[in-house]
Amino acid sequence: MTRNKSSAGPWVVVATVIVGFFCIFGCVFALIVLNRDNSGGPGGGNVVVPNTDPTSATLTLAYSPEKAALIGELVDGFNQQKLRTDDRETMQIQLLELAPDLMVEEALSEAPRFQALTPDSSLWLDQLDRRWAAQQQLEEGAIAPSAVGESVRYAVSPVVIAMWDDVARSLGWPDQPVGWETIQQRAAADPEFRWSHPSTSQASGLLATLAEFYAGAGKTRGLTVEDATAQSTIDYVGNIERTVKFYGEGETAILDRIKAEGRDFLDAFVVQEHLVVNYNRDASAGGSPELVAVYPAEGTAWADHPLALLESSDLTNNQRATFRAFRDYVQSPEAQKVVLEAGFRPADLSLSLDGSPVSLANGADPSQPQTTLQVPGPAVVDVVQNVWQFTKRKANIYLVVDTSGSMEGEKLDAAQSALREFLNQIKGDQEQVGLVEFSTYVNNIDPLDTLGNNRADLERSIDNLEATGDTALLDAISVAYDRLQQEGDPERINAIVAMTDGRENASSVTLLRLRETIRRGNNSGVPVLVFTIAFGDDADYDVLQTIADASGGQMRQGDLETIRQLYRLLSSYF
Amino acid sequence: MNRTRVIFIVIVVAALAIVGLAALARLLSDQPSSPLVVDQRGPINVRVLTALPVYDWVNEAAKQFNAENHELDGNPIQVEIISMDGLSALGKFDRDEFGALPSDVDLENLTPEQERALERFPTAWIPDSRYLPELANVAYKERLGRDVFLTDGEYRARPIAISLFAWGVYQSRAEVLKERFGDVDWQVIHDAAITRGGWPELGGLPEWGFFKLVVPNPRKNVGGLAAMVAAAGEYYDSVAIGTAEVTDPDFQQWLGELMSSTTDLSGGSAYTAEDFALFGYSAGDGGQLLESDLLNNMEGIQTRWGEPLDIFYPKYVTWFDFPFTTWIGPETSAAEKNAALEFQRYLLSPEVQAKAVAYGLRPANSSVSVDQPDSPFTRWADQGVVPIVSRTEAMRSPDRDVLLALLRWFDLNVAQ
Repeated sequence: MTRNKSSAGPWVVVATVIVGFFCIFGCVFALIVLNRDNSGGPGGGNVVVPNTDPTSATLTLAYSPEKAALIGELVDGFNQQKLRTDDRETMQIQLLELAPDLMVEEALSEAPRFQALTPDSSLWLDQLDRRWAAQQQLEEGAIAPSAVGESVRYAVSPVVIAMWDDVARSLGWPDQPVGWETIQQRAAADPEFRWSHPSTSQASGLLATLAEFYAGAGKTRGLTVEDATAQSTIDYVGNIERTVKFYGEGETAILDRIKAEGRDFLDAFVVQEHLVVNYNRDASAGGSPELVAVYPAEGTAWADHPLALLESSDLTNNQRATFRAFRDYVQSPEAQKVVLEAGFRPADLSLSLDGSPVSLANGADPSQPQTTLQVPGPAVVDVVQNVWQFTKRKANIYLVVDTSGSMEGEKLDAAQSALREFLNQIKGDQEQVGLVEFSTYVNNIDPLDTLGNNRADLERSIDNLEATGDTALLDAISVAYDRLQQEGDPERINAIVAMTDGRENASSVTLLRLRETIRRGNNSGVPVLVFTIAFGDDADYDVLQTIADASGGQMRQGDLETIRQLYRLLSSYF
Repeated sequence: MNRTRVIFIVIVVAALAIVGLAALARLLSDQPSSPLVVDQRGPINVRVLTALPVYDWVNEAAKQFNAENHELDGNPIQVEIISMDGLSALGKFDRDEFGALPSDVDLENLTPEQERALERFPTAWIPDSRYLPELANVAYKERLGRDVFLTDGEYRARPIAISLFAWGVYQSRAEVLKERFGDVDWQVIHDAAITRGGWPELGGLPEWGFFKLVVPNPRKNVGGLAAMVAAAGEYYDSVAIGTAEVTDPDFQQWLGELMSSTTDLSGGSAYTAEDFALFGYSAGDGGQLLESDLLNNMEGIQTRWGEPLDIFYPKYVTWFDFPFTTWIGPETSAAEKNAALEFQRYLLSPEVQAKAVAYGLRPANSSVSVDQPDSPFTRWADQGVVPIVSRTEAMRSPDRDVLLALLRWFDLNVAQ
């Protein structure tokens, strides 16, 4: 027994040492492996995990917002396959939603957050390549380099004018040709006619604007820089643009408003065909389509949704492999059926549109378009984009800013950055902007003036904002509203962008009274849109929603991460 | 337990710990995983830059080649196909973007950047036409004092398939053009393009709008340059086009009128036959494109738009011969070069050449015919496709100055 005891002791110790060692080693190993497997982040989410791993097979793909549902489904389908590279890294795609013009800007920056992009049109890839080539030191006559690598198309959709069925019929559709000029004439003749197109930062908005320049120049092709800058063309476009109800952050936002407000919102608007198809699938439930896609008689253009790799020295071989695998996936028969089901026309030409969602029953005509509007060269497109800033409908905007005590610190810094971004985005110096700063009282007012005169003053006021006191939100909005009504300028878009992070607790005006003032004023005076921003979780959403609803504006939510982007988005409405 | 046993166990544990820590260290390092003990010889990687018109066929062949486990001296060969337009590839060679080594480099002491560049260095190039490697040689002769692609010897460029430029016009539009002009050629297209009243004046329908030409964008697709050279050939009634011809103001005005009838001058589109099929009449009524691209898309065009194209062959024929061209510099090893030749031989085998025909390409291997019953050449014969092109006047390859002059003219006069 004694012998047994004495011999078992060291064995137990040694065995314990061995087992303990392997346990610790195993745990450390498992932790490392698990940590590596989780580094890719979710595929369908909108969170980008920066990756500096040279073997990374995680590819971040920037996409334009109007195809969020489609690209999300495609990426989920791809990620679920859990494909691996030759060195056993898991291929993953992360998504990043960005407006096409922002994709170009970021792609040209030092550290873009994405390695691949799928904007709404190849126009943006060309713009990216031209601007990138211009940054290089090239010899005369040299073949220009390209920042855009391999690219494919997987879905296309023509740009159309969406109209309610009876509106289209009142314009002569489907028996008579209806085009850009028809819309422009109707809008000029009928002040009640409400139409809208996105800004030129989206392909559909750019096309609608190009159509105006063509009509203004009396041409249907061969638009030149001289045509686009002729005073007669600028006057014509300016007159048409004055009939636009407002611009907007994009086609999806317009469709959301149409869904929420129905036909009272707009009579006609410019969007991609797939959005009309999907609206009708949701709204008409097998009956007659409510919206019809009108293919402009003068011609239209296509949103061709390229998928392209962004060439850079940071691109890993595995990311390139992931791109190629995803490229092959989106072109596969399985993915192409998803594309068709989403209301797009698939790039796979063997898939017939017969019996597909792209049908007359959903307001679309698969045999259209028959002709196209000529997209001019890059120099003319640039001029059209720039000149449009001066011909578009001008705006009077009051920025109403909360500087109560709760804004102190990071929030105020973020708000200041967002306000500066807003001003940067308003390019034309003829736009009029003012600023109302409030806490317990309305502390400071920068009166409405053209940005040509007061841009520097506004920037100084933004720099000097300080947080203290309570929240007199209603008083501040009331002051801004009264000033816009006193201005009484119906030619311009009149709007207030009001931001607060807390609850109203110091105003002399009540919510009911302010609501009535806005309703009455918008009926009898100039219509003023109030966009309200709830900054953080403590803002009073109900109050902000009530004010926005009374004016026909919108309530939006932002936080420290998104407030800058939100102000940028709102700037696209003006 | 005796002392020897304890020491033995301690040694075993220590050995296990060392192996475990070594494995952990390797896992944490930036190096890709590789064997711990024996440095085995890995596969020979062959990277082939491939012109877009032959990409699908070559890529399919490469997959098959890889699956068949071909070897060279006992080492497996892995082929990677990289799609790249010929002009883009030429630009990259011109700018030395692939990272060719300087002529005085010490191969034993490469910098990390040089080693990294060589990992992705192309082993071979299949451009659209044989004149492109010749143009690349010009740049490298200046830089390195020698050619990098050979025209003779074992590693010389060998065509792997051929195709030519042909007119493809929507049938309804072609009938109107033939009725009005009797034929389809560059002059007819020019006259249709400048007709002020558009299709109604030509005898077509009002909803067709103006006549819209499809030619590839010369900035994105080398076929665009070929089309402009072919137009010049017909304008001058000559197969040889020089700088004097393409810079002549009368010719440039004529060419400008022609090119202004394309529908997208933005450069956003490359204008391939696939665009033609995808966007239908709205992209164009007809245009001069590579026959293989047209044949590849004939069925899709019919499915999507319910109307076929009519095919016409021009008087002056422009051929693309897709030469398989092996890089001969020290950036790739002898094994890689020879492995590339293995793949080249595979592409030229009768079985793989027969597959090229299915993609609308004409085989380089003369033992393979194009008029099999299931061939696109047979299937679309009624639309004007012929197995043997009777036209005998082939455009000569333009020189570098002609190409650059045309590109410059295009940038200044069309793509502005």
